[in-house]
Amino acid sequence: MGREQRSSTGAACSIGSAALVLLIQGCSGGSSGGGLVPGNDPPASEAQAARFLTRSTFGPTADEIHKLSVIGYTAWFDEQLNAPVSLERPPIEHYALHHGVGQEQRLEQWWKIVLKEDDQLRQRMAFALSEIFVVSDVAAALANDPVGMAEYYDILARDGLGNYRTLLEDVTKSPVMGRYLSMLKNEKADLANNIRPDENYAREVLQLFSIGLVKLNADGSPQLDAFNQPMPTYDQSVIENLAAVFTGWNYAGATNWDYPNENYLPMEPWEGHHETAAKTLLDGLVCPQGQTAQQDLTFALDMIFAHQNVGPFIGKQLIQRLVTSNPSPQYVARVAAVFADDGNGVRGNLFAVVKAVLTDPDAVTGNVDHPDTFGKLKEPLLRQTALWRAFAATFPGNKYKYYYPEDDFGQAPLRAGSVFNFFTPSFAPPGDIHDQGLVAPEFQITTDQGITSATNRFWDCIFNGYAGVSHPDSDKALLHLTAEIHMADDPAALVEHLNQLLMCGEMSQEMRGIVESMVTDTDAADPRQRVLEALYLIVTSPEYSVQK
Amino acid sequence: MSNLNHSNSRGLSRRQLLKHTACGAAGMAGLNAFFNLGLVSSAAAQAPGSGYKALVCVFLYGGNDSFNLLVPRDNAHYNAYAASRGNLKIPQNQLLAITPNTSDGSQYGLHPSCPELQSLFAAGRVAFVANVGSLLYPMTKAQFLNDSVQSPPQLFSHYDQQFQWMTSLPGSNEGFGWAGKAAELLQSLNGASALSMNISLLGANTWQVGPTVTPFAMGTNGPQGLTGFWGQQGQRRYAAFQQLLNRQTPNLFEKAFADTQKSAIDTNALLKTALDGAAPLTTVFPNSYLGAQLSMIARTIAIRGTLGVQRQVFFCGIGGFDSHNNQNQDQPGLFADLSACLNAFEAAMVELGTDNMVTTFTGSDFGRTLTSNGDGSDHAWGGVQLVMGGGVVGKDIYGVYPSLALDGPDDIDSGRILPTTSVDEYSATLAKWLGVQSGDMATVFPHLDHFAHPDMGFMG
Repeated sequence: MGREQRSSTGAACSIGSAALVLLIQGCSGGSSGGGLVPGNDPPASEAQAARFLTRSTFGPTADEIHKLSVIGYTAWFDEQLNAPVSLERPPIEHYALHHGVGQEQRLEQWWKIVLKEDDQLRQRMAFALSEIFVVSDVAAALANDPVGMAEYYDILARDGLGNYRTLLEDVTKSPVMGRYLSMLKNEKADLANNIRPDENYAREVLQLFSIGLVKLNADGSPQLDAFNQPMPTYDQSVIENLAAVFTGWNYAGATNWDYPNENYLPMEPWEGHHETAAKTLLDGLVCPQGQTAQQDLTFALDMIFAHQNVGPFIGKQLIQRLVTSNPSPQYVARVAAVFADDGNGVRGNLFAVVKAVLTDPDAVTGNVDHPDTFGKLKEPLLRQTALWRAFAATFPGNKYKYYYPEDDFGQAPLRAGSVFNFFTPSFAPPGDIHDQGLVAPEFQITTDQGITSATNRFWDCIFNGYAGVSHPDSDKALLHLTAEIHMADDPAALVEHLNQLLMCGEMSQEMRGIVESMVTDTDAADPRQRVLEALYLIVTSPEYSVQK
Repeated sequence: MSNLNHSNSRGLSRRQLLKHTACGAAGMAGLNAFFNLGLVSSAAAQAPGSGYKALVCVFLYGGNDSFNLLVPRDNAHYNAYAASRGNLKIPQNQLLAITPNTSDGSQYGLHPSCPELQSLFAAGRVAFVANVGSLLYPMTKAQFLNDSVQSPPQLFSHYDQQFQWMTSLPGSNEGFGWAGKAAELLQSLNGASALSMNISLLGANTWQVGPTVTPFAMGTNGPQGLTGFWGQQGQRRYAAFQQLLNRQTPNLFEKAFADTQKSAIDTNALLKTALDGAAPLTTVFPNSYLGAQLSMIARTIAIRGTLGVQRQVFFCGIGGFDSHNNQNQDQPGLFADLSACLNAFEAAMVELGTDNMVTTFTGSDFGRTLTSNGDGSDHAWGGVQLVMGGGVVGKDIYGVYPSLALDGPDDIDSGRILPTTSVDEYSATLAKWLGVQSGDMATVFPHLDHFAHPDMGFMG
């Protein structure tokens, strides 16, 4: 079974660690940098740079691969940390001054940012966090609030490289989350009318956003009791008590509890609606009586933040979102250790955590140690961003009009069917993956239906979406393929170029042969068609769709 | 929760089986052999040409507040209901009266948004099953409160309770659903058909997955074909595309991706032609997501002869039932949609002459608290389900409708109702009708022998 197998990889991991050091030290002072300052820890190769950028951005570009190859990882991380934060809400608000706005405008901003802006690591984190701290415009309560939804995404972007504790409080106080999980206007008990506090946020903040259902070891494995059973992290009475903690919050500046003016600012407390009795919370910890709503909230979030589960629970999911579906316990433990202490005594430093996720020895050599099972199915939406970024797609009138990607890919930012996201971290598709005790969450949206609509989407996107297409669609993005068209008379060179740019140089010989033949068999007098054929075959292939 | 009864658990889960064997592969082979034995008995027991049967699961995601769907109507019981529900109660004079064949001493009514269900019930086409929930063993309130009988793990958690509904194996991670296991046993009735017995209109789900059974997922417009392979160039491209899918790879993710794409291509070819050749249904379905799903299911049932299949299991459903807030605003629309869509589906089955061959039933994560959280209800446990079709012994309420009094004999806390019918009993009754033989029941429902009613009788 997979779990047993994975727990025996410790030796391989420590070798991997040494290998990383060698890779980093052995390759310093690589290529000349066109104005870039060479760093101490460049990737071993451009292929390694592309592999790293596949995980840490919305898709490698030739420029970013080159840049990372020169400046090295440390400088790249620092640059990403300090890059200005790209935000969705301000431009949408501005647009709303003179136009009606819908979720379409929010999607437009999302595309613009992930395709064009420089703060890629932060945005990739925000996207990953949006699949953990889920809110969704599928919910009627949020469908008509694109500005609030954009601000929610901006919270994830602002806090994504900050501290988890800040993120947790900002998410908790967001009126968008407040409506999605009904903490907004949650009131203290009214026993005469059999009304008690709403348990929705209390339950999901524990189950999904912080500690999960069962007590974890530092390596993410469940702690077992004397009967070999997992141990629950909380019971129903904790939920009921925590529900009472989260009472008394309403829209900022509200002057009427029942009919507040809606806005996107952090919710504010109304002490008269807050439950002030003592509450018994996790592991018997008592939140004292008589505290204000904010004091209670601070107490509860501090308690959650301090729980031993948060590091492995959140850390493992970030590994799953960025690197591999089935991380080794050692990988999880190393990331959890950084969550516990970033090296400067700080707990919850998400920048340090994501750095640990992306530079872990397993992230570097896991594909060598476990070639059959390391890695993950790419999220289909991220195959789309990668294609458009690799070929510098432009949009007519600079309007990023791709509003409903869920129709093609089964996912779109902040548009999951429920708080359980498009897919759950434990999903295993039937067959070998399931039978080996492994998981592959992205397969939950990669059904017969999902895979076909994505394949068809890429057909349309490629064969009808390149610069120079004879009847351009007024909304369609255009790929820029000039460099590739120049290579089309040399099928081997063209395929190798695409291999480096899109597949981190990992294309198998067999696949290379198949794609090269298709290029060769396509009329040499139509070099663009040759490029389009190669692109389509690559982007829809099993090899490309799996990130190793 | 209790530690007392962990050692009592009888049916070993697959994971436990594997843990207890020296070699995982050997354990799996053993398990598959176990299934093969079952397959012989369940499939062989069906007379040749015994006729088509299909199950349709309508899953109400989020946890349906079903004590507002089937409501006590007589004064004494209504008053207890109203006191518990407070501002979530349905006014007594708005309830749509129903009269079950068997009286338990109470009178009942349906939510005012469900006139179609009222008619279907009166016509004997619908039965309700009261107080169903996931259980490991039957238990009393006292046993629950003093932890003397083991409860299912992670009560009140959406994901876990959905999983338990679908697997009928609380606490197991084996990941197979009972419909998947049933299909494993019955698949041979469909002869050489390459089409999976299990078809989902709502994407991936655990319920329909068996050790070797993978459900086929399609959208409300039916299966989707690949576009863009026209002409000579298109054919070349398709050949290369296929070569890439057929490339042998040891990578499990690449293999699963390729297998899914290949299955989609094959099944589309199988279904599309048959669907395109079928006469359209005259029954009009409501213009809603559930209506579209059920319409597509009806269209698929219509081509059963062309497909050459004898057994099918369909999965569909809708979300929105997690009514923590705005329940009084949202619930009428949800129930109205459910009622109208089920009615249209039953009409379509009558139109096709398959109404005695198709049984539709509801499932949901859990029931909801009787008490209000201000403007909604929270996660609870037992609830009411409904079963529909010509094979149903309708116009009755099966199981035991609970006391809705707060702190009453069935309330474990804040109006969370302890189930008195296990998901296993409810589901096994349906599986038996589909054709799973009694000797195979323990394979499909390992905990069924914990409970008193392996056949609740609502399928005759």
